[in-house]
Amino acid sequence: MKILALEFPPVSHLFEWPDFAFEGTPLAMNKTVLIYLFAFALTLGLFLLAGSKKGLVPRGISHVAEGGINFVEDSIVAQTMGPDGKKYVPFLTTMFFFIFFSNIFEVIPFIQFPANARMAVPIAMALMVWVIYNFLGVKNQGFFGYIKNSLFPPGVPKALYIIVTPIEFFSVFIIRPLSLAIRLWANMVAGHLLLVTFAVLSATLWDSTYVGAVAPAAMLILMTGFEILVSFLQAFIFTILTAVYMGGAIHPEH
Amino acid sequence: MKKRIIFASALTGLILVFGLGGNALASGESLGKCSVIEYNEKIEAAELTPQSLSDEASIEVLAEIFDSCIEAPSPIIPEINEVIWGGGAFVVLLALMLWKGFPAVQKIMNERSEKIATDLDEADKAKSEAQAVKTQYEAELADAKSAAAAVIEEARQQAEVLRSDLQERAESEIAEMKEQAAADIDAARERAMGDLQSEVSEIVVGAAERVVEANLDAQAQARLIENYINQVGSN
Repeated sequence: MKILALEFPPVSHLFEWPDFAFEGTPLAMNKTVLIYLFAFALTLGLFLLAGSKKGLVPRGISHVAEGGINFVEDSIVAQTMGPDGKKYVPFLTTMFFFIFFSNIFEVIPFIQFPANARMAVPIAMALMVWVIYNFLGVKNQGFFGYIKNSLFPPGVPKALYIIVTPIEFFSVFIIRPLSLAIRLWANMVAGHLLLVTFAVLSATLWDSTYVGAVAPAAMLILMTGFEILVSFLQAFIFTILTAVYMGGAIHPEH
Repeated sequence: MKKRIIFASALTGLILVFGLGGNALASGESLGKCSVIEYNEKIEAAELTPQSLSDEASIEVLAEIFDSCIEAPSPIIPEINEVIWGGGAFVVLLALMLWKGFPAVQKIMNERSEKIATDLDEADKAKSEAQAVKTQYEAELADAKSAAAAVIEEARQQAEVLRSDLQERAESEIAEMKEQAAADIDAARERAMGDLQSEVSEIVVGAAERVVEANLDAQAQARLIENYINQVGSN
């Protein structure tokens, strides 16, 4: 594959990492798996450490954990689920930090890979969210109530249900989890591709012309900053959409 | 400070050069390595020998072998091992967070909120107490001020009364003194006039006696002269 006459690695090679342990088994470990384990350890470590530090004024790591909880509670749960959503704050906070830490490895030197650029966790979490919001819907509205509220939105002329109901069915039960997973995955794929493109450009142009590397290197730095924002934003979007779906299942009137 | 700046610059430089550049090495394995592995694995199965490699059919087989390194499985289909590890990590993490991680932080936050709320309540209480004391002080101060004003007013009134008394007394004394002086003056004047009158009448009578001699007796002359002098005095 040639781009601008430079050798560019095949796209799949930017995302598929060779196994280094338990090769050939369903428990094969690769770089992506390691990053998920890092994200697991970082999230848990962050909260356990913050939970062990007492004091009137939160300092250091406590800021991150408590700020995260407040952020999820005020900016996500309060906006989408109201006071009833408070009990889901731990779930949504865990989700937010796990996605964020999986993403942020995109810009961590020498690792530089967003684990969510693989479909595994986005689709697994999206399916989990699908199960949860459907369960909440049935639990709060009853099976038929939930189906009725989901497929027959009030205020629509009856004749239009012929069109609206299939659309709602696809939207609520099929598209939602897919869009949730694909949005996160595609954003991280695109970000990683951008960074790799500018890095390969910089390296190759440095080898041949030196000066030519300035522009792509500047872009690389800019895009790295941008990807930090994207990592955060995608974690936020995934979490807030989860909260919106759960809130909709609890309060169908909204 | 200087050392810190140098350290930070060096670190930033290292990250920029090696860190960001690391993306260039982002591929999991090189195309060449993959091709060699695939070639070694498939060359025997394809029953190719180094001699037959230039055949048209062999070229097709070889191309397929090398292309398989470029062709990738659909990136949107999740790998089962990654789903197990990643999904499993999330589920276990969620369980541990619900069990330990989250409640620990939440407890600290709640304790802090409670402490702050208690402190604020206490501060409010102290403030209202201080406010009450202040109001009391202000009331007492106002009382003291009005008492002082009353005392001053009373003193002023007393002074006014005293002053007017003294003034009246002084004025009446002055008037008395004036009257006394006038009476004294009148008395002195009358006494002087009487003296003068008798002196003058004696002198005049004496003079007239000598002038007129026997024409008039002394009593008639004195009456005439006195009448004359009174007439003159009243003018």
